[in-house]
Amino acid sequence: AALCFQAFLQMCNLPVRVICRANAEYMSPSGKLPFIHVGNQVVSELGPIVQFVKAKGHSLSDGLDEVQKAEMKAYMELVNNMLLTAELYLQWCDDVTVEEITHPRYGSPYPWPLNRILSYQKQWEVRRKMKAIGWAGKTLEQVLEDVDQCCHALSQRLGTQPYFFNKHPTELDALVFGHLFTILTTQLITDELSEKVKNYSNLTAFCRRIEQQYFEGHEKDSSTIAARSSKRPLLR
Amino acid sequence: MAAPMELSCWGGGWGLPSLHPESLTVMAYARFSGAPLTVNSINNSWRTLKGDLPVLVSEDIVISQPAKILNFLRKQKYNADYDLSAKQGADTLAYIALLEEKLLPALLHTFWIEAENYCSVTKPWFASRFAFPLSLYLPGKMSREALNRILLTKGGPPLYSLTEVEAQIYRDAKECLNLLSKRLGTSQFFFGDTPTTLDAFVFGFLAPIYKVCFPRVHLQEHLKQLPNLCRFCDDILTRYFRLTVSGYSPAGQDTADANLQKLTQLVNKESNLIEKMDDNLRKSPQHPPRKLTMLKLAAGGEESSPMSRLSP
Repeated sequence: AALCFQAFLQMCNLPVRVICRANAEYMSPSGKLPFIHVGNQVVSELGPIVQFVKAKGHSLSDGLDEVQKAEMKAYMELVNNMLLTAELYLQWCDDVTVEEITHPRYGSPYPWPLNRILSYQKQWEVRRKMKAIGWAGKTLEQVLEDVDQCCHALSQRLGTQPYFFNKHPTELDALVFGHLFTILTTQLITDELSEKVKNYSNLTAFCRRIEQQYFEGHEKDSSTIAARSSKRPLLR
Repeated sequence: MAAPMELSCWGGGWGLPSLHPESLTVMAYARFSGAPLTVNSINNSWRTLKGDLPVLVSEDIVISQPAKILNFLRKQKYNADYDLSAKQGADTLAYIALLEEKLLPALLHTFWIEAENYCSVTKPWFASRFAFPLSLYLPGKMSREALNRILLTKGGPPLYSLTEVEAQIYRDAKECLNLLSKRLGTSQFFFGDTPTTLDAFVFGFLAPIYKVCFPRVHLQEHLKQLPNLCRFCDDILTRYFRLTVSGYSPAGQDTADANLQKLTQLVNKESNLIEKMDDNLRKSPQHPPRKLTMLKLAAGGEESSPMSRLSP
């Protein structure tokens, strides 16, 4: 998810430095990652950050009319609703993945037994949320099918255009890029999730294009990309 | 051609075939696509303990969520989205996600969590659908589930108190209504002249807000300021829900009358209790006369306002 923000800020041509900290969740004003620290202001979460950036005079969606803005918001909700929830499900509700990948990764900055306690707590929280929205009863296949449906919709909407709203990237492009790139590059037990996305060639081309345009120039600056790439090889 | 299909769902009132958004969505879709469904209003069934309505039963197949029911109907060749392009199909999914994320929390709040609405309208209505003791347990359970859902999905920090969460969800809902209104514009349905899945979902979510008479109605007032959405709901109701051969409308009217009777009985019981309290207080020597008159006025006020709320 942090990638969405980086992409968004790069698209606005704003220079950004990424720092990984273990207590980042506590530094954030809303408890949610990521957040940006600008001068003496701290802003977290995509909505407020977009508004903050807009207030400073940079906006990506000014060229859209009202109906297009409505569509953009609807698609952003779709991505949040389906892709984000599916990612959470896969990370925390699929037992195999939880044991082998999530628990070690989430607990890694802390000593034993804190690492186990914190990851169980987070797992319990996520499972409660899944139950409230009705995803607890879903099997992995159903979740993958939902992801497929979502990617199909995104692929249809993108068509052959370079960005979702034709020539210029918008917040939606940043959001979709962040999620899809994460799915494509994070190594999980099985590759089913990334296979689903790879089925849609225009989506993979979209990711590659944004990566090349907005991230490759900063590779030399690479402490960020290197830190991230321990588990995520860059798309080639 | 197809096996007979039966839909079990929550009943209706206030001119709507059902008060439950998901049931309404499925019913609307069935009307749009011409699927022959027999609709069964739930009355005293243990299945509702799982909260799984609406439920479609066809031969031996039992399907429970609206999205799955709609998929099943499409496979049976009752497809309202036949004329849509792929991009419009994608838009449908996106707008449904928008409805669920932004409008549904406020809808749940208006029905189940807002204290006045819950106590005076929702609870008596749902309780009247069941016999004792389910009537005591089930509305409370549904209310707790709604609160849980809202707090878990929307209530993370920095919104720590319920009032802040409420303010946020109503803001989101009003924004969502504005977006829908802009998207609908002046056309009759969301994708041209024939109704589709998206129209069914939007109708399912908007109609309860539009039609049910609650004491606390700021979302309804906001909706009434968007005339194209109101016209949209009214159109669907007149075109698809009044002109059926099965005489749906009289049945709807009957349930509305039955509800009215039950609500009247509950209100009468309440006012009897208040009168008894009044009598007790009059007999007790400790209360000064001033308080008695205030109580009488209050009792009078409470009696008249529920009665006026009952008029459809």
